[in-house]
Amino acid sequence: MDDIDARYEVPRTADFIRSRAYTRVALQFPDEMLRDAAAVARALRRELAGGGGGGVKLFVMADTAYNSCCVDEVGASHIDAQCVVHYGHACMSPTSNLPAFFVFGKMPLDTNACGRSLLECSRESDKHILVLYGLEYAHAIDDLKAVVAELYKSHSGSVEVQYADVLCSVMSPSSAAEREHDQSDGNTHSNDVSIQSDGVATFVNNCCNVEGSKRKYNLGGLTWSTPIDDNMEDYVLYWIGQDNSAFANIVLTFNKCDIVRYDTVANQPSRDVSHLMKILRRRYYLVEKAKDANIIGILVGTLGVAGYLHIIEQMKYLIKAAGKKSYTLVMGRPNSAKLANFPECEVFVYVSCAQTALLDSKEFLAPVITPFEAVLAFTRGREWTGEYLLDFKDLITTEKPEISNKTEEARFSFIKGGYVEDSCTEGKEEQSETSLALAEVTEKALSIRNLNNDAVLYQGGANSAIDYLKARSYRGLTGEYEGPAPDSVLTGRTGRAAGYNHETTKSAQ
Amino acid sequence: MVKFTAEELRASMDKKHNIRNMSVIAHVDHGKSTLTDSLVAAAGIISQDVAGDVRMTDTRADEAERGITIKSTGISLHYEMTDESLKRFKGKREGNSYLINLIDSPGHIDFSSEVTAALRITDGALVVVDCIEGVCVQTETVLRQSLGERIKPVLTVNKMDRCFLELQQDGEEAYQAFARVIENVNVTMSPYEDEKLGSCLVAPEKGTVAFSAGLHGWAFTLSSFAKMYVAKFKVDEAKMMERLWGENYYDAATRKWSNAKNTASPTCQRGFVQFCYEPIRRIISTCMNDDKEKLWQMLDKLKVTLKAEDKELTGKKLMKRVMQAWLPASDALLEMIVFHLPSPATAQQYRVENLYEGPLDDPYATAIRNCDPNGPLMVYVSKMIPASDSGRFFAFGRVFSGTVATGNKVRIMGPNFVPGEKKDLYVKTVQRTVIWMGKKQESVADVPCGNTVAMVGLDQFITKNATLTDEKAVDAHPIKAMKFSVSPVVRKSVACKNAAELPKLVEGLKRLSKSDPLVVCTIEESGEHVIAGVGQLHLEICLKDLQDDFMGGTDIIVGPPIITYRETVTTNSSHTVMSKSPNKHNRLYMEARPLDSADLDPQQPTVAKTIDDERIGPKDDIKERGKILSEEFGWDKDLARKIWAFGPDTKGPNMFVDMCKGVQYLSEIKDSVVAGFQWASKEGALAEENMRGVCFELCDVMLHSDSIHRGGGQIIPTSRRAMYAAQLTASPRLMQPMYLVDIQVPQTVAGNVYTVAYNSGGELKEEANRVGTPLANLKFYLPVARSFDFTDKLRAATSGQAFPQCVFDHWKIMPCDPFQAGSDSGKVIADIRKRKGLKDIITPLSEYEDKL
Repeated sequence: MDDIDARYEVPRTADFIRSRAYTRVALQFPDEMLRDAAAVARALRRELAGGGGGGVKLFVMADTAYNSCCVDEVGASHIDAQCVVHYGHACMSPTSNLPAFFVFGKMPLDTNACGRSLLECSRESDKHILVLYGLEYAHAIDDLKAVVAELYKSHSGSVEVQYADVLCSVMSPSSAAEREHDQSDGNTHSNDVSIQSDGVATFVNNCCNVEGSKRKYNLGGLTWSTPIDDNMEDYVLYWIGQDNSAFANIVLTFNKCDIVRYDTVANQPSRDVSHLMKILRRRYYLVEKAKDANIIGILVGTLGVAGYLHIIEQMKYLIKAAGKKSYTLVMGRPNSAKLANFPECEVFVYVSCAQTALLDSKEFLAPVITPFEAVLAFTRGREWTGEYLLDFKDLITTEKPEISNKTEEARFSFIKGGYVEDSCTEGKEEQSETSLALAEVTEKALSIRNLNNDAVLYQGGANSAIDYLKARSYRGLTGEYEGPAPDSVLTGRTGRAAGYNHETTKSAQ
Repeated sequence: MVKFTAEELRASMDKKHNIRNMSVIAHVDHGKSTLTDSLVAAAGIISQDVAGDVRMTDTRADEAERGITIKSTGISLHYEMTDESLKRFKGKREGNSYLINLIDSPGHIDFSSEVTAALRITDGALVVVDCIEGVCVQTETVLRQSLGERIKPVLTVNKMDRCFLELQQDGEEAYQAFARVIENVNVTMSPYEDEKLGSCLVAPEKGTVAFSAGLHGWAFTLSSFAKMYVAKFKVDEAKMMERLWGENYYDAATRKWSNAKNTASPTCQRGFVQFCYEPIRRIISTCMNDDKEKLWQMLDKLKVTLKAEDKELTGKKLMKRVMQAWLPASDALLEMIVFHLPSPATAQQYRVENLYEGPLDDPYATAIRNCDPNGPLMVYVSKMIPASDSGRFFAFGRVFSGTVATGNKVRIMGPNFVPGEKKDLYVKTVQRTVIWMGKKQESVADVPCGNTVAMVGLDQFITKNATLTDEKAVDAHPIKAMKFSVSPVVRKSVACKNAAELPKLVEGLKRLSKSDPLVVCTIEESGEHVIAGVGQLHLEICLKDLQDDFMGGTDIIVGPPIITYRETVTTNSSHTVMSKSPNKHNRLYMEARPLDSADLDPQQPTVAKTIDDERIGPKDDIKERGKILSEEFGWDKDLARKIWAFGPDTKGPNMFVDMCKGVQYLSEIKDSVVAGFQWASKEGALAEENMRGVCFELCDVMLHSDSIHRGGGQIIPTSRRAMYAAQLTASPRLMQPMYLVDIQVPQTVAGNVYTVAYNSGGELKEEANRVGTPLANLKFYLPVARSFDFTDKLRAATSGQAFPQCVFDHWKIMPCDPFQAGSDSGKVIADIRKRKGLKDIITPLSEYEDKL
């Protein structure tokens, strides 16, 4: 029992609930921790009852519709929960409605071995070292600091080691409404706990904010500051933790930095991030491929991450401005079978939290890209510069993205190896060149639709789902009946299928 | 000192009967550029002294350095012909000034796309053949190409100086060699005879063959000599020309002509030898011996006068000057060009059918046929030429009808344009029209039909080629796309050394792909940029251009050559495979088999080749297709009707055939199954390479009765998996690309060539000794994968005497089983998978096949 209390930080959680006097609390477990859920709930209830917090209703939530790293706000609102306690790995994406309390769990870390390897790493490079870590190792960082300081003393090292802090373990949806700090929070930090969700953002890299003479970074629940003159490239990033999506997020965002990963299982450092660099190059390919797409599906993969509605709107606008057609689909955990139900979409934009955004779509019929990649792909004249963002909150801009309509050059497609015409100009031409109005009409009259259905179906020749449907060999029941129209129009039944209005009388009998 | 001005040039552009558009084509190193110099010199653009050395049309530094032409270069030349020389010309003409738009083309096979582009916009071709080496592989290729485009050829037998100086052949020997060359040319052309074009066979007595020495700037046709002898023999020129070729002998003693060699008389000699070859030989030897007194006498007789300072020269220089004065190359060649090559007005009458895609009775076709400068505009842009500094390009092409002027608004129809659609269509303004006069360009107000033209301001909308029409000509069809005889098969990845310079690379690749008709710049799934070229040399030049010209010298990293393979199957599937949909409610049963039956005659083209050649394809009439498949390939007639699709990309060399009987809802899932087929045939199960020659058969289908459970999401991935399972059960093999390598070497080192070729995995296709020469022609099939150091090895082994010409020929199945440990194809697959970032081992069958 004590084990559960310690591992799941039951007393701290109880303090949190008590201090805010919540009465309905949802406990969200990822699949791998689900077997402890009942025990944790019991322990928590006992703890709450002991401390005078009886009457708090606890609900266990599992098998979330989207991703277990995000707070399942929709699930929690089904039971009118006032707050969510989130267990396990978290992406720390800001929530939009409910406050959340995070319990990261505690993974064992051999601080001595890790400290030694850190020291070694600092000797090899004259750059500063910035220590980043998986949130499940946050509990061991203080120990590590002590170990490293000790080692430095004995080895008279001079290189500075900087540690990132955990941003917070409590998250409130809006900073203005509640500015309470959780005093019992074990981790030392005095930053603003909540994350601004009203989306005032510079376009490029919002995970970095300038505050005074410091440059402040927030990424995946970690926060750190650097002097304003320093670039991230001046640091060696030392990551403690598994090779997971949080690590990928760091590597891709800071893809120009030296990165060392300390493997906590093998207890040794590794510098090999080539598989992630491969991913980055593949993303570049996907961006090029997306440029050729005419129909784009926007996959809504979250209903909780703050600003998701905004980014969906922004994506729609962007796609429309690029002369392409978009369809919005809400889909939890996309897979090959689900996406293949929409074969007309040539590419999907996946709006979700930063750590799930990166889907390996190799086995999918159409590639899946992130909103940031969509911006690269659908904004004319924007080039891939190597800079990379996974978190869409950094993309949100209050103003509409500026679209240049000057088609000074046809677009060069590296997929097809030549210039391609984007079919966006149609509407504009008709108004602008009135002298050609007659010619345009003639042209339309002459046009033969769907000369080659195969090209429309399998090579992205369609401009909208209607084109696609027209090209299909089977279009469902068509409703084009041979016979004449029905004789007369009759009033049908009214009511619900469970019991039509005229049926209620029957059941009454 | 240029002998003509831009105004004069422009004026003669209107005289459509006095224009000759011609390209100079030949095998590599047969002397095209050198010979072209003579023509350029005659127009006064360069001086006679340096003609043959400057290689005026090799404008690039690397062309001069390597001594080969890389890009075709156009040049407009203006000549005033004399009445005397035009006396015999029977065709239509307007005055004596002639405009010749000449395009010098490269001879190396890697650049033969440039030749294609040049032929498209010209009407005639000057075929240059080395009198010693004779007709070579590239000569044959370009001849075929030119006849395919209905381009009329004339021949010049070049490097005559070699006969006299190097080989010291006697007259009869030389005559036999020349006759053989001419015969070979005619033999090459005869299968491509075209009724509309008329006979293209060349014959010296008709004046369609010249004999030249480009390096020394002299040439003659039989008419040059016939003119000299007309007075002496008192016969007309045509008659005399006939006597100067073929089995016509003259006995100097009896002063009689006869048709057979009178062996008894030592004074009886062939006309050609007696009256053409011998005089030249005498002059040359006199010059070389510096026997000046004798020389002046002879020159007096010939009425040739030399400038005073030239008389001081000795040896070769003297000989060059004397020959230039006596038989100037430009006179002979010009006469041949003007007399025997068609004017645009003539040529477009029969070329229109080959050019225009639309109906041949619409106004555009009519205007092309009539070469009507007042008709609707039709311009074909065949290539893009980089402007010297600005990073922009000239669109270079030919006006087929109408007149293109500065400020014209034109419709640009790209290669993917389909009439009636908006794809690949732009309306833009021509900012400037330009003509080429040697190394410099001159702006002109407009260019009428029948001429070549370069246009400024369209480059951002044309990748490689396009058809231009008036902006309002919405019903115009484009001019047919060019067909290239080679395809880009050698590929290398490029990356910047400094990742931040990626945008520069992207821009550079765009420009590169514009500057060359056949280079293809794409991106791999792994995110690497890849450049594909025709051959190693081509790729080398492209990479150099990319780095130096289009990226301003930025450092790039070039990867090792990437070879594309194909995946195929060699037997029928061992059993019918079944895959279940993700929801387990649908089952697809499939089999794979080779498209060709095992007893197909190996000489016969395969079904895959037939699809490549577009003899069968998705757009065919089903009856026609069935006929071809059943008659030539022994398919069941009904089977041919059940082809659902071709793939990849809807027209590739694989098929999907429906073999089901009485399956409900089958029509509903057809599109989904085919989508899976397109996907699978594009990325095969072995290494995600394209498939080739595979036929998938759908044997049976079990579907869920609710349509929602048999949607695309369930069927597309399942059909792909089923096809992979079918492929893996049908003895899958890799196919590797094979080059046809043509090597011409002295017979003495042929043995070394065999050794090198066999060591590189080559197989001999044929060998032939060239009659009358010490040369042998060897043809090998060589795996592309092993060809990269082949050229160097060959050079080393033959001390530089062998020069291979490689051209992609076919795909060859690698016989080894890719699943066997350590097999060649297994290694190849492992490499490809590594490059593509796939799992190390091929996904096992159990992943694709489901059990009931």
